[in-house]
Amino acid sequence: MVKILPAYLYLYTQKLQINLILIMQRRSAIKNLTLAVGGLVSLPAWASRWTPDSIGKVSTSVVSEDNQMILAEIVETIIPETSTPGAKSLKVNQFIMRMVNDCYGEPVQSNFKKGLTLIDDLAKQSYGKAFTSCDAVQKADVFNKMRKSDDTSAKQFTNMLKNLTVQGYMNSEYVLVNLLNYNMAPGFYHGCVPIGK
Amino acid sequence: MSFLNIDSVKNRTFDAIVVGSGISGGWAAKELTDKGLRTLVLERGRDVKHITDYPTTMMNPWEFEHLGQLPKAIKDANPIVSRCYAFNEDAAHFFVKDAEHPYVQEKPFDWIRGYQVGGKSLMWARGTQRWSEQDFDGPARDGFAVDWPIRYADLAPWYSHVEKFAGISGNRDGIPQLPDGEFLPPHEMSCVEKHFSEQTAKHYNNTRPIIIGRCAHLTKPQPIHYQQGRGQCQNRSLCQRGCPYGGYFSSNSSTLPWAQKSGKMTLQPDSVVHSIIFDEKKNKATGVRVIDAHTNQMTEYYAKIIFLNAATMNTNLILLNSKSHRFPTGFGNDNGLLGKYLAFHNFRTTISAEYEGFLDSTSEGIRPNSSYIPRFRNFFKQETDFLRGYAAGFGSTRMLDNDLSGIGEDLKTNLTAKKYGNWRVGSHMMGETIPKESNYVTLDSNLKDPWGIPQLKISVSYDDNDEKMIVDFHEQMTEMLTKAGFKNVKTHDVPSKAPGLDIHEMGGVRMGKDPKTSMLNKWNQFHNCKNVFVTDGACMTSTSTQNPSLTFMAITARAADHAVKELRKGNL
Repeated sequence: MVKILPAYLYLYTQKLQINLILIMQRRSAIKNLTLAVGGLVSLPAWASRWTPDSIGKVSTSVVSEDNQMILAEIVETIIPETSTPGAKSLKVNQFIMRMVNDCYGEPVQSNFKKGLTLIDDLAKQSYGKAFTSCDAVQKADVFNKMRKSDDTSAKQFTNMLKNLTVQGYMNSEYVLVNLLNYNMAPGFYHGCVPIGK
Repeated sequence: MSFLNIDSVKNRTFDAIVVGSGISGGWAAKELTDKGLRTLVLERGRDVKHITDYPTTMMNPWEFEHLGQLPKAIKDANPIVSRCYAFNEDAAHFFVKDAEHPYVQEKPFDWIRGYQVGGKSLMWARGTQRWSEQDFDGPARDGFAVDWPIRYADLAPWYSHVEKFAGISGNRDGIPQLPDGEFLPPHEMSCVEKHFSEQTAKHYNNTRPIIIGRCAHLTKPQPIHYQQGRGQCQNRSLCQRGCPYGGYFSSNSSTLPWAQKSGKMTLQPDSVVHSIIFDEKKNKATGVRVIDAHTNQMTEYYAKIIFLNAATMNTNLILLNSKSHRFPTGFGNDNGLLGKYLAFHNFRTTISAEYEGFLDSTSEGIRPNSSYIPRFRNFFKQETDFLRGYAAGFGSTRMLDNDLSGIGEDLKTNLTAKKYGNWRVGSHMMGETIPKESNYVTLDSNLKDPWGIPQLKISVSYDDNDEKMIVDFHEQMTEMLTKAGFKNVKTHDVPSKAPGLDIHEMGGVRMGKDPKTSMLNKWNQFHNCKNVFVTDGACMTSTSTQNPSLTFMAITARAADHAVKELRKGNL
């Protein structure tokens, strides 16, 4: 089955040249900004405020700490560590927690909670142990069983989780900077260039 | 109102008052101070300083808590502004929240506002197409609204004036639909956009040009732009956050700092204008009443001339609220037309398609702009069963069609692999709407806003002409795309999408030749009070199809020039 990448990924998956103004880091970007306007600018306070870790702690009101362990294992099942980091070490589970806490209503939140319990139950049924104790193949099997089940709420849970995992992974600093050559300020647009070289 | 002493009045007296600091107010401030007038610029919102007050401008995607999406609580509390395409995590702080300034919707209308220094010029979409001769001729030719008191030739030198300063990128296309301007280098069209342009030229005998959009971006800054402290556009397309390079035109990056440098401007944020003060003995306006946004205290300010640039709806609101013995139903409203003949642009519908060619090519980098299809319907003569026509934006992107169906290592590999699919194109309609007496704003007789000013009641809707135009857009665009070899053509119309989201509302204080049928003369002065000028969207007699801001800028500069000349002659 072929799927189209959602619109929000287009911008970040543009194939970007590495020459011209390479602005990967904030400070070099600010330097560049100062050059661009002839050094007239004094740096505002926010210029050094942000770091990738500064986004902060996530509330556990919707999902208990135990269930968060399960969540971390699920995102790792969807996008595992290989020669590059997987979703768990990129803290995609924390992003998902934030989204579930802040961007969804109660029905989706309770289905999400229910899903985490369900996947653990399914693991116990299938392999006689907790989801977090399963090996990678078993975890994938359990998650796939849920994806392919006829139960609407199980399907909704797995779809939402997969979409959010992909979104969080694709927009993580690691992936954007190291795998997709993300460049906030490319400084150019070429309407028609040959693919691949 | 008690005046402590003569000095207090003197300190509150200026040569000119400009109400509003958005795209047209910024121009009024610049032009009037350039000509030596001590000018007070009143802004109802907070101060937003260029660069310093753009808190999200250098944030990377992963630094946003919700990757750009707004929390549900914010969306739930703000159903109106949440429908705006740009109300996201990176720019929400520049938009008025629903509860902050309530209004009454007699018919559904999404009123999108930016209350701060710079107004909506911070978040605008930056399209800057000139009007043509046929746009100014429209109402007279087709028998709607009233005849414009000006023609293209009146505005052409002022278009040039503002284009050179603001910095407009574009191609000299030499087409009657959109006269050429003072252009910086154009953005590129993609191969598929060029293909569509060439094919459409061939199939329609060059009557339907498709060009690169003209937009307010410094693709190659000139000395005048460096003097403003602005630099080269870096192709980030994060403009709605405010641009630290000054790469696109805004009041904050351009006209306001310019006016500030003159030493003639006093910029006063947090100042809600309540009404205009009219002096019956002098038979002119003497100033404005201002409510402090935080203390609700009222103060009067005085000047020889007043420019109203509060943006269409709020300019109407201030005028409707400026009641006096002479003008009992609102400022200048002898003919009862104030607030009427409101119009907008019909942005309700879009179309998308795919192209299976140019598979060995893609685009690279980012373009803060798109291609543009100028109006081709009823342009030289009436040819359909509806009046006027539509322009359209047109963009393209190469899709990725990696297999994302699985989970695990396969999914991971496929996510960052680049398996290109077809080109996808999309287009959105920008339809001219016909100003009608039945589309109007008025004041609610009971409800007040937080500053004690009556709430604006908006009664604006689509009509049969708009519906016919949507059908025609679908038919014509489908035909054009199909003839050019596009596949999978799909139209999308959301009839429930209310007017307002175009953020191109215009009219209510229209220009015209006759005081009986219009509010303003050809210099944007009230027919019956010559020292008050309206040069924002409220002055528009008709809407045409072009993004209106460039025309507001040109009209403002022209009116300011006239105002100062008249002032020097002692006529105001």
